[in-house]
Amino acid sequence: MQLTHLNAHGEANMVDVGDKRETRREAVASGRIVMHPNTLQLLSDGALPKGDVLATARIAGIQAAKRTHELIPLCHSLALSKVSVEFAIDHDNGWVDVSAMCRLSGRTGVEMEALTAVSVACLTLYDMCKAVDKEMRIEAIQLDSKQGGQRGDYRRETTAPIVTGEGAAGEVSLGERCSSPCVRVKFLAELRERVGESDLAIGLDKLLSRDVAGLKAALSAQDPRFSVLSDQRTLCAINQVMANDSARLTDDDEVAFFPPVTGG
Amino acid sequence: MAANEASVADVAVEVQTAPFSMAYGYESALRKRTDIGAIVTFTGLVRDFNETPDVTGLTLEHYPGMTERTLTDIAEQAWKRWSLQAVRIIHRVGDLSPGDPIVRVLVASAHRRDAFEACDFIMDYLKTQAPFWKKEHSKQGAYWVKERHTDQQDAARW
Repeated sequence: MQLTHLNAHGEANMVDVGDKRETRREAVASGRIVMHPNTLQLLSDGALPKGDVLATARIAGIQAAKRTHELIPLCHSLALSKVSVEFAIDHDNGWVDVSAMCRLSGRTGVEMEALTAVSVACLTLYDMCKAVDKEMRIEAIQLDSKQGGQRGDYRRETTAPIVTGEGAAGEVSLGERCSSPCVRVKFLAELRERVGESDLAIGLDKLLSRDVAGLKAALSAQDPRFSVLSDQRTLCAINQVMANDSARLTDDDEVAFFPPVTGG
Repeated sequence: MAANEASVADVAVEVQTAPFSMAYGYESALRKRTDIGAIVTFTGLVRDFNETPDVTGLTLEHYPGMTERTLTDIAEQAWKRWSLQAVRIIHRVGDLSPGDPIVRVLVASAHRRDAFEACDFIMDYLKTQAPFWKKEHSKQGAYWVKERHTDQQDAARW
């Protein structure tokens, strides 16, 4: 493979993207900042001296994505159509997971923007928390996936779980019970990777209609990434029996969404 | 094709991560019976080429509970449609390498035609209904295997 940022003489140069076709491009990057459990607690309680840490870091990440071309010498300036920065506080491991998604329709990829967003969001978290913790460590900043462009899609290999959720062979998994009437939703295989979630519970009162179509609508309204559930190829099972959009849902049902099967 | 609704189906299905032996199913299907005239088995193996030329391995994911239920249901459908004496299905999940057996279907009957057809039927239904998903690992990276239209056509024959 050739490095396109080098010219015939091996010198750095900006790639001419004028002749490239405009395609929809998307990149997702992630990283994390490890910190003392007490710092993490202060952060999740909103008790740090500088105030709302995550909101500030989110804005910092978004701003950084937009200004990537000012920081990275040979990057083009891009009109991003969407930047999102998300955080997940992981008390068990003692860190904050940071992920960023950048999207545009254009001639060049957006992975540098996503990586920059994660990096600057992590740096901002450090800045916001450093008064109480100097041992923090930023690590594992990486590209998770990119879509669009002439080199095709990329997705980082992860160790896929053999089975999904809490279920053991031969029995219907119950998962966590909800205190109020709800359905428990599972996403399997490729679908789990696409929505970035394996299990969730949603209250029955959130559904406009108490059927699969109503569940899909409620989830899509919650987060656009669930719109993939309305894809014709997405299959659904209620309590481990195949079901269609009009199938009724009742309290404590287990609803699984998955792609077409490919065993054998 | 004689219907077989009255008798209790001698059907067993297993899903496991451990490898199974090439002899799998014979002993438990035969026991000491002398009325079995034919045994047909199908064994599926991991190929080193599929969607990309150099597959280095694959990971099989499934939906515990629904998988066993679906396989049993398929075997019982076969039991009703053909005159069978035993059906055994085993399917592996987890990490597999090229050359590894993935699935074994064994069908025993008095006459060969029932066993051939039922085995074919079970595999067609297994491939299109049982909740397994393959993720192939290749030198170009990992990807989820796409469903094949021909599998759907095959299953629609029955």
